[in-house]
Amino acid sequence: MNRSRCRRAGRGAWARWGLAAALALLWGLGRWPLPAPPELRGAEYPRINGPCNQEFPRDHGPHQDFKTEWWYYTGNLESAEGRRFGFQITFFRSRMSPEQIQPDPSEPLSGWRTQQIYLAHAALSDLTKGAFHQDERMARGALDLAGARLDDDTTRVFLADWELNLGPEHHRVRATASDFALELTLLPEKPPVRHGRAGTSQKGERPESASCYYSFTRLRASGRVSEAGVAREVSGSAWMDHEYSSAPLEPDLVGWDWFSLQLSDRGEVMIYLLRNREGAYTAASAGTLVAPSGQVTGLTRGEIEIETRGTWQSPRTGGRYPARWRITLPGQGLDLLVTPNLADQEMVNEESGLPAYWEGSVNIVGTRRGRELTGLGYVELTGYARAFDAPL
Amino acid sequence: MRLFVWFSLRHNWRHRRRLLAVLVGLSLGAAVFTSVRLAIDASLDSFNRGMDAVSGGVDWTVMQPGGRLPEALVARLLRQPTVRTAAPVLASYVEATADPGRSFLLIGFDPILDRPLRPWDRSPGGRGRDDGASLDWMELIRTPYTLIAGPRLSAAWGIGPGQSVTLEHLQGNRRFKLIGTLPDSGLALMDGGLVAVTDIATMQEFCRLQGWVDRIDLKLRPGAGADAPAALRRVLPPGVELVPPNAARDTGNLMIQAYQLNLSVLSFVSLFVGMFLVYSLIALNAASRRRELAILSSIGASPRTLFALFVGEGALLGTCGWLAGIPLGAFMVRRLLGGVSATISLLFARVRPDRLTLSPKELLLSFLVTVGVAVLAAYQPAREAMAVAPREAMEQGPASARRPRLITALAWSALALIGLVWPLCRLPSLAGVPLFGYLAIFSLFAGFALVAPAALRLLGRVPAPVLRRLGGQPAFLAGRAIRDAGAKTAISVGALITAVALFVALVVMVNSFRGTVAAWVDQTVSGDLFVRAAKAGDNEYRDPLPEAVVNGLKGWSDQVDLLPYRRFHLNYGSRPYQFEVLDFEVFFRHGRFLMLDGEQEAITEPLARGEGVLVSEVFANQTGLGVGDRFQTQVEGEALDLPILGRFRDYRTRGGVVYYALQHFQQPGASDRWGGVRLFFKDRAEDLDGRTEQLRRRVLDEVARGYQLEVTSGMALRREILRIFDQTFAITTVLLLIALIIAALGISTTLMVLVLERRTQLNTLLAIGAAKSQVRRMLLWEALLIVIAGSLLGLLCGLVLAVILIEVINRQSFGWTFLFLVDWPALLAAFPIIVGAALTAVLPAVRSAFTVPPAMLLREE
Repeated sequence: MNRSRCRRAGRGAWARWGLAAALALLWGLGRWPLPAPPELRGAEYPRINGPCNQEFPRDHGPHQDFKTEWWYYTGNLESAEGRRFGFQITFFRSRMSPEQIQPDPSEPLSGWRTQQIYLAHAALSDLTKGAFHQDERMARGALDLAGARLDDDTTRVFLADWELNLGPEHHRVRATASDFALELTLLPEKPPVRHGRAGTSQKGERPESASCYYSFTRLRASGRVSEAGVAREVSGSAWMDHEYSSAPLEPDLVGWDWFSLQLSDRGEVMIYLLRNREGAYTAASAGTLVAPSGQVTGLTRGEIEIETRGTWQSPRTGGRYPARWRITLPGQGLDLLVTPNLADQEMVNEESGLPAYWEGSVNIVGTRRGRELTGLGYVELTGYARAFDAPL
Repeated sequence: MRLFVWFSLRHNWRHRRRLLAVLVGLSLGAAVFTSVRLAIDASLDSFNRGMDAVSGGVDWTVMQPGGRLPEALVARLLRQPTVRTAAPVLASYVEATADPGRSFLLIGFDPILDRPLRPWDRSPGGRGRDDGASLDWMELIRTPYTLIAGPRLSAAWGIGPGQSVTLEHLQGNRRFKLIGTLPDSGLALMDGGLVAVTDIATMQEFCRLQGWVDRIDLKLRPGAGADAPAALRRVLPPGVELVPPNAARDTGNLMIQAYQLNLSVLSFVSLFVGMFLVYSLIALNAASRRRELAILSSIGASPRTLFALFVGEGALLGTCGWLAGIPLGAFMVRRLLGGVSATISLLFARVRPDRLTLSPKELLLSFLVTVGVAVLAAYQPAREAMAVAPREAMEQGPASARRPRLITALAWSALALIGLVWPLCRLPSLAGVPLFGYLAIFSLFAGFALVAPAALRLLGRVPAPVLRRLGGQPAFLAGRAIRDAGAKTAISVGALITAVALFVALVVMVNSFRGTVAAWVDQTVSGDLFVRAAKAGDNEYRDPLPEAVVNGLKGWSDQVDLLPYRRFHLNYGSRPYQFEVLDFEVFFRHGRFLMLDGEQEAITEPLARGEGVLVSEVFANQTGLGVGDRFQTQVEGEALDLPILGRFRDYRTRGGVVYYALQHFQQPGASDRWGGVRLFFKDRAEDLDGRTEQLRRRVLDEVARGYQLEVTSGMALRREILRIFDQTFAITTVLLLIALIIAALGISTTLMVLVLERRTQLNTLLAIGAAKSQVRRMLLWEALLIVIAGSLLGLLCGLVLAVILIEVINRQSFGWTFLFLVDWPALLAAFPIIVGAALTAVLPAVRSAFTVPPAMLLREE
C-alpha cells in the first residue's frame, strides 16, 4: 500500500498539465524524457511570466504560439433506463517548432506545411455492463484535417469528424469512434475556475515552469451515447479543463495522479499529485477546492492527505495502477473514499504510440465536516505502465 | 538392386564417355529449367514485397485514372464515418546529382495519417529505444527537405544521418537532409531498397505539385459494412475511382506468372531435347544387349524386371543429371537474373530483385520434371526389352529388322500429329499462357520425328542409282542401309530435326522481330528530337513539360514542326495500357503507322477530327476489341466513347496503346499541357545529324535551363529502343541456344548409336573383304543422308515453328506479332556448317565401329 501525506495548504495545480506537457515533448522533440534544457527550446516559445488573467470567450480559443494546449472533458452520465456511463474526450494541440516555416520565399508553401499537430483521445466506460471503449485520432493542423479557431464568441476545435464547439451558452462535443459515439451538450453550472494565481498554475521552482489553466468544474450534460450501434439518450455531469504553456515538465518526474471530484453538496475538488522516480509525490503537487457557493481555494501538497487502498494490474501492459484511495483535506473537513466504477479503464494508444495511462470514472463516498456526502468523478494515472519514451 | 548394379551400372561405367554426354545434356536442361524459374521467382518476390509494403493495411485506394487528386479530398474522406484513415501519397522517381543513373522512388506521405496503414518501425531496435538511434518521423514534418532513405540507397550515396544530398527533378534540384535510414523491412523492401520517404509537404514543394496527390489510401473502421465502398463512391467527384489496393498486385502477379510459365516451357525445350539423349543411350543399351536380356529372361528374369532395369536406368540418369544441374543452375541463375528482371521491368512491372531463394517447391519441381523426362525417354526402350524372348539367346543375326508396316503406321501418326498443329494454334491462351501453342509445338516436333523413317526410306530408295554414280558402292550401300534402317531412326533423327528446327525458328523469329521493330521505329517513332521530363518514362508521364518550355518551343515553329503529345497510363479492366493523345496532322506529315486493319489514308482525317481512336495490335489482342468496336475510357475525369478506326503494329512495352487527337482531348482555351514533344526539321535537306545536335544544344541552353529534361535525338532514341527490344529477346535466345547445344550433343550420340547398333554388320563387311576406308565412306554417306534428311525436315519444321512462335506464342504471350521475314542468306550459310558439324560428330562413331577386332566380334555373335 502506498501512502503519502500532504500537510501544507497552497496554490497552483498542474496535474492535467502533465499529460499535455508530455505530449509536447513527444511531438516537439521526439522522445521522452528529453534532456534538452528548456532554455534552449522553450526560450523561443512565448513564456508565462505573470498572471494569465484569462478572459472569456477569448481564452477559450487556441493559443497557437504556445507549444502545447489542450481541451479536456470528462463526465458521468446515465440513461433514462438507468444505464451508467463515464466518458472522456480530449483534444491536444502541439506546436512542433516555434519557427515559421518558409523553405523558399519564391515558392508557394504546400497546404500540408504546418507546425501544428492535433491529437484526440475519446473513451466511453459502460459502467453497467462493465465495458470500456477507447479510440484516438491524429492529424496535422492543415487543410481542414484538424484545427482550432475562435470565430466571434465560439471556439471550434476539430479533428476529422471529432469536434468541440465552445459557445457562450453551452459546449458541444461530438466524436464517432470505431465502436462508440458521443454527442453531448454541456451547460456550465458554475463560471470557469482559474487555477493557481489568476489562472497561472506554477509548476515548479523555476519561474518559467508555469501554465495558464482554468476549468469548468460543473457542466450539466445531456445528449446521446452510442455503443455497438445502439444509441441512448443520457444526462449527467461533466468537467472541462483548458490549459496551455510552453514549459516542459521537470525531468525527474515519472508520472502523476490527477483527480476531478464532483460532490453531492455541489462542491468540487481537483487534485494533482506528481510522482518522482522514487514514487513519492513532489512538492509541486497541488489542487483546487471549489465550495458549493463557488468560492475557490487553492490547495498545496501539504494540505492533501492521500492513502492508496488497492491496486489493479493491466493484463495488456502489465502496469500496476492504484485503484482505491482515501483522500483527506483536514483543513476543509473533507474525508473521501474514491473507488473506480470499473477496474479496467486503461487507455492503450497503439496507433500514436503514446504511453498507456488509466483514465476512468470513479465513485465517491465521504463526509464534509461530519456530514455524509457522495459524488462522482474522474481520475487519471500515468507512468505506471512504462516509462515514457518517444513513439514517433 | 544387385542385378541393376551388375547389369546397368557396370555397363554404363564401361561406356562412360557416352554416359557423360547424356549427363551433360540432361544437367544443362535441368539447370536451365531451374535457373529460369528461380530468376523469375526472385523477381516475383521483389514485386510482391514491394506491393505489400506499399499496400500495407490499405483497404481501398482512391485515384484518378491518368491524373492526380486534389488534396482537399483527404479531409472530406476523413470525415466519413466509415473511414479510419485517409493517407495521401505523392511519389516520383528521381536521382541524386552525385549518383547519376541510379533512379529511386521518392515517396511523399503524411507520417501521421499513414500510421494505421504501414508498419512505421521507428528504429531497427524497435519501440522503446532511447539511445539516439531512433527515427524521428515527426522531424520529416517539422523540418522541410528532410528524408529517410532505404538502407541500400543511403549505402549507395555513402552518407549518414545529418548529411545532405541533392536531388534532381523536372522543376530543378533541391538539397535534402538525410535524417535516418529506413529499417530493413516494410517500405525499405520496395525497389530493392532504392527508396526514400519524405513529408508530403516537402514532396509537393519539391515537385511543384502544391494541392495535388497521386492517390489516397484508405483504411476503414472495423465495423464498416459491405455498403461502405458504395457510400464512399458517392462522395467522390466524377472521374475519381475507388479501387481495391491489390488490383495492381494481382494483375502484375498474373502477368509475371504467365511470363514464368512461358519461359518455363521454353526452358523445358532443353529438357525435351535432353530426352533424345536419354532415349539414344538407353535404346542403344537395350538393342546392343538383346542377347544378354534374352539370357536373363531364360534364367528367370520376368519381363517386369527387364522393364524396371531400363526404366531404373532412366531414373538414375535423370537423378544424376538433376544433381549435376543444381550447382550449374545456381551459377546460371545469377547470370539470368539481370536479364529476366530487366525484361519483366520493361514488359510488366518494375522489379529490383535483391535476393535469391532456393525454395523446396522449385527443387522438387525441377527434380520431378528432370527425372520424369528421363523415365519417359526410357519407357519405349524398356518396353522393347520386355518383349525380348528367351529364345533370342540362341539366335544369330541382327536384332532389328525392317518393319515396313510400322513405318507406314508411324507416318500416319506423324501426319495426324502435324495435322493437329493447326487446330491447336487456333485455340485461345489460358490466362495469358499459350498452352495450346506449346502443345502444338510439341505435336509438331513429335510429328516430324515420327515422319523421319518414311522420309529416310524415300531418300534411300529413290536416288539409289544417283548415289552409286556419286559415291560408288559405299554410297549405294549407305542408301540401302538408310532405307532399311526402320522405325528405330525415328527418335534418333528427331534430335537432328529438333535442333535444326530450333535454329531455323530462332533465326526467322529474330530476323522478323528485328525487321518489323526497325520498321516500326523508323515510321512510327519518327522525329528528329524528343523532349520530355526527366524520368518521364519511370514516372508514367505524370509531370507535364513546364509552361516556359512549351512556350519557348512554340517560338521556334517557323523552323521546326512540333508534335506534342500526352501519355496516360490507364487500365482497361485489369489490363494496363497507355492512352496517348497527339497532333495527328503533324504526325502524318512525318510518320505513319504500320496498319493491320484500316486504311491509313482513309482514316487520317477522321482521326484528326477526333472522330475515333487508333488501337495497337497488343491492345486489340488483350482486350478483344477491333475495328468498328467502341472504345470507352475515363481520363482525367473526362469520359470518352469513340469508335475504333484502325489497328496497327506497335511494340511499346507494358501494355498496348490507344491514340487519340490532342486537339479534341484538351479543353479549348486551356493552357497546353504537353507530356512531351517531338521536333521535326521543316527543311530536311542537309546534314540532319549535325543540325539535330545543334538543335539539342539549343533546346538545353535556351528553353530547358533550370529544368531537368530529357532531350534526345531521334536517332539515339531509335537505337535505344532496338537495344531494349534485343534485351527482351535475350533470354529467349539464350534458352534456345542452350537447347541447340543439347541437340548437337543429341546428334552426335544418335549417330554413334546408329553405328554401334550395326557394329556386327559393319565388321561382317570387313570380314568379307571390304576395306576400312570403304566402310568409313559408307558410314559418312549414311551420316550425310541422315543429316540432309534431318536438315530438310528440320528446315520445314523450323519454318512452321517460326510461324507458331510469331503468330501464336508471341501474340498470346505479349499481344504482338511480326512480319514473317526469313533471313535466307543466314540460313543458307548455316547449312554447310550444320552438315559439316554433323559429319564431324559421326567420326568418333566411325572410329568406335572398329575398336573391337572383327574376328572377335563375329565370334561373339
